[in-house]
Amino acid sequence: MKNLLSASSQNMPRFGASLLQFLVLGLFCLFAVRLWYLQIHLGPVFTEKSRNNQLRVEYLFAPRGFLRDRNGELLAVNEPAFALGLVREDCDDIPATLGKVADLTGIPQERLKEIYTRNKPKVKSFEPLVLAPDLTFDTIAKIEGVSVRWPGLEILSRTRRKYNYGHLLSHVLGYVSEANEAEMQADPTLSLGDFVGKQGLENRLDSRLRGAKGKRLIEVDVTGRRLSEEQQGEPRAGEEIFLSLDLGLQQLGHKLLEGKSGAVVVMDPDNGEIHALVSEPSYDSNMFTSGLSSAQWATLRDDPLHPLQNRATQSVYPPGSVFKLVIAAAGLHYGVVDPKETVNCTGEVALGSHVFRCWKHSGHGSVNFQRALVESCDTYFYKLGMKLGVDRMSEFSKASGFGSVTGINLPHEKGGLIASREWKLKRFGVRWTKGEDLNMSIGQGYTVTSPLQVARYIGALLNGGKLLRPALVKGEQPQVTGQLPLTEEQMNMVKRAMVATVEDPHGTCRRALTNGVVVGAKTGTAQVVRLTDELKRMGDNVPYKFRDHAWMAGFGEQGSKRFVIVVMVEHGLHGASGAGPVVKAMLDALFMGKKELPPQDVAGAASPAASPAARLEAVETQFPEPPLPVPPAFNELQRKEIPQ
Amino acid sequence: MSPIDRRVFYHVNWRLAGLLAVLFAIGVLNLYSASGVRLGDGMQVENYYQKQLIWGSIGLSGMVAFMVFDYRRLNAVAWPLYVMTLLLLLAVPIIGKTVLGARRWLDFGLFNFQPSELAKFSVLLIGARLLSSDSERLNLRELAAVIGLGLVPALLIIKQPDLGTGLLVLMLLAGLVLYRGVQPWLFRTLCVLIPLITPAFWFVLKDYQKRRILAFLDPATDPLGSGYHILQSEIAVGSGRLFGKGFLGGTQSQLRFLPEKHTDFAVAVYGEEWGFFGMIVLLSLFCAFLYQVAVVARDAKDPYGSYLAAGVFFYFFWQILINMGMVMGLMPVVGVPLPFISYGGSATLVNFSLVGLVLNISMRRYLFKQT
Repeated sequence: MKNLLSASSQNMPRFGASLLQFLVLGLFCLFAVRLWYLQIHLGPVFTEKSRNNQLRVEYLFAPRGFLRDRNGELLAVNEPAFALGLVREDCDDIPATLGKVADLTGIPQERLKEIYTRNKPKVKSFEPLVLAPDLTFDTIAKIEGVSVRWPGLEILSRTRRKYNYGHLLSHVLGYVSEANEAEMQADPTLSLGDFVGKQGLENRLDSRLRGAKGKRLIEVDVTGRRLSEEQQGEPRAGEEIFLSLDLGLQQLGHKLLEGKSGAVVVMDPDNGEIHALVSEPSYDSNMFTSGLSSAQWATLRDDPLHPLQNRATQSVYPPGSVFKLVIAAAGLHYGVVDPKETVNCTGEVALGSHVFRCWKHSGHGSVNFQRALVESCDTYFYKLGMKLGVDRMSEFSKASGFGSVTGINLPHEKGGLIASREWKLKRFGVRWTKGEDLNMSIGQGYTVTSPLQVARYIGALLNGGKLLRPALVKGEQPQVTGQLPLTEEQMNMVKRAMVATVEDPHGTCRRALTNGVVVGAKTGTAQVVRLTDELKRMGDNVPYKFRDHAWMAGFGEQGSKRFVIVVMVEHGLHGASGAGPVVKAMLDALFMGKKELPPQDVAGAASPAASPAARLEAVETQFPEPPLPVPPAFNELQRKEIPQ
Repeated sequence: MSPIDRRVFYHVNWRLAGLLAVLFAIGVLNLYSASGVRLGDGMQVENYYQKQLIWGSIGLSGMVAFMVFDYRRLNAVAWPLYVMTLLLLLAVPIIGKTVLGARRWLDFGLFNFQPSELAKFSVLLIGARLLSSDSERLNLRELAAVIGLGLVPALLIIKQPDLGTGLLVLMLLAGLVLYRGVQPWLFRTLCVLIPLITPAFWFVLKDYQKRRILAFLDPATDPLGSGYHILQSEIAVGSGRLFGKGFLGGTQSQLRFLPEKHTDFAVAVYGEEWGFFGMIVLLSLFCAFLYQVAVVARDAKDPYGSYLAAGVFFYFFWQILINMGMVMGLMPVVGVPLPFISYGGSATLVNFSLVGLVLNISMRRYLFKQT
């Protein structure tokens, strides 16, 4: 103590007091500036960040609209489905959790890891990342049982599209599947796992069917717990759409074509509504909704019979004698045909050194306009074709809607091909020859059409020349896309000839005769390969892939009720026998009410050719792209002696 | 022990005491908000503010205890206390208790005791005793002696590991050295040497400490890891803007995006809810408080009292600088609490006691005669 007292004030630090005051001042200035910078200058930035921390936007699911047929039958509905999601933020050990999920669901762990790494950048850490899109009830029970020990796993309740007649309407309805990257980029309201229409009407009517999602602002804490919610817009359900299709007719067509490849189109000629659009073989639309494995996809894609192909709109075939309806009308239009005038058919026509044969080698004798159509006399049309020439045939065919798409509301429609001089020169670098006029006149050569185009043309013959856009939605305003360059009388002449083809004892379509109904029709037997002597000898026993395509295009009229029916059977041998029974059954169903309804969903239609070898053969004769790569040598194109 | 001289209580420094009271009140109020009262439904309400009030009253008795005796008596206990501290620090690694991966505690049955808290106090006493013996600027030998005395406990504490407290002990001593002054040549040399030597300490640091420093230098590198604390703290303070989100209205803290909101980041809660305005008020209060301590150091009756008060000044100064700097993103994340604002039992007791010591020095400045 003594010591301390004596030390007294001379030992006081000299500058210490100023140092302390300076430090206080420095502290104040430093922090005041920093606070100004953080809270005033950067305040808005941090406010935004704090809002992002605190608020989340949740989109509320809007149910997809149902699809019904014209009588109200449900075709596409939604059913509940359960998916497994992983919320990364809540998950303690992601690799272990994925391993557990692999155990529970049976999905290989590598696949889960792949799904996880692929979707990780797209899903926010507090949102569920969908690991398995479709769980069985057993799996759900297993997951619920262990969910307490595996935080982050969440069962997500969703809805899944269900097609009540998966096989029956797959080509028209198409299918939905999960939105991909590009679709999500285009529409910010789409999130991972949302379904969008990928094919068919599901694709074309997607915006109407999808509706609009609702939006909800959620206040959350750091663990993601919801504290409050604010609704910002109710979800709007997708529209329910009635299609013009008649489920019964569709089922009938499906059944009639079972085991074959082909298409049936039934159209109302007055408003363009399609009552049946059958394409066989088909696939099940439901396969796509729960995610198609690559093996499943490969099977579908590589199937020699192309079940994914809509044969009514996406496949084009040589029309054969059906095309005589167009060439005959062209003759009337250009005035090169006098209906009274007759042509003598001797069974062949010589052009230069080549001989073109009529299908009836003995000849039809004297034939006029109507008889030429009724008996499908090739000679008459060879001569007509020579008179018309390619330019006029081409011009008229295009004006009649061939060579261009009908505009039906389905994706990837094909327009077929109507050849012209310019086209051939450009395509093959070779000039058009006179013989090709003759081939064109009987619907062979380069000409290919889709069954739907034929239906549209016949519809126009009935409705006063209006080329209508085929409609798939019931009650839509008909859209006229063109006008046949024919007078009412000229159209009636073609119509009368079609009726005679059914009613005349010599007509090729007698089997379509239906009591109390005015029926008109025209067959077509389209060659797919050049006829060799060997094939000729085999007669009807030629291998499947060399058989002719069978067409029958016609209409039925009963009072004000009328329908166009076009049937095309791939390799159906003869128009009358291959396609005729289908037309007849359709007529019976449409006018006599004889609808033979098979039980719901004729699933897994048998493939047309029984043996795998035959299936392989069949693929070689498909017509994925229109014409043959080289111009056919017309002198070899001989007509077999069968009714056309 | 001499009887308490009642005359000294006529000279209690009410300004300092008042500032302490206001700061503590703000702290408790802020802890009330940080305890998540708004979210009381279904969630556990942490009653840190109640505990802090209890610790405050304990601290108050500590403060009074540090006022009643003549501070000059502490001179005599400086050395024994220092030795005892070293012994206790050495005992920690052997018989200490591990909490959250760090061995800092000694279990005394009834209560757990942190020798590092005692180390701050004993270094303060030994520093004041050594440095107050002369007024000449320090030469190298004296400086080495003083720093050496501080380094021993500091390194022991850093080993625990408790980087914050260890550094605080060293910085407290460094502050006292500056308070006395070092010889100009030595000062210049140190100005060059220290920046050169500091990087060497990088290799002493633990991995998590390195990560914190890296995250401080660039928080964006790891926003969910080490940088998370800094980022969320800056968001909290920054989103307060001019007048704040209002008491109990801070989303960053109420929704628990802000980590350690009761302890190290308590002032971020305050900054979010009271904004720039509130922060300037709080900063002014702290500066006024520090200034009052500085005034006591300047006006102390003897050098020993002056050095003691200056030691207390640095004790608070460094903590305020480090903690608030950390919350504002100016410093790396170091576990140093903010006096009176952060929750902490023994820290509150020590803070109150040290203010009591300053009040002790302050009210005895007029006494000329000791008995």
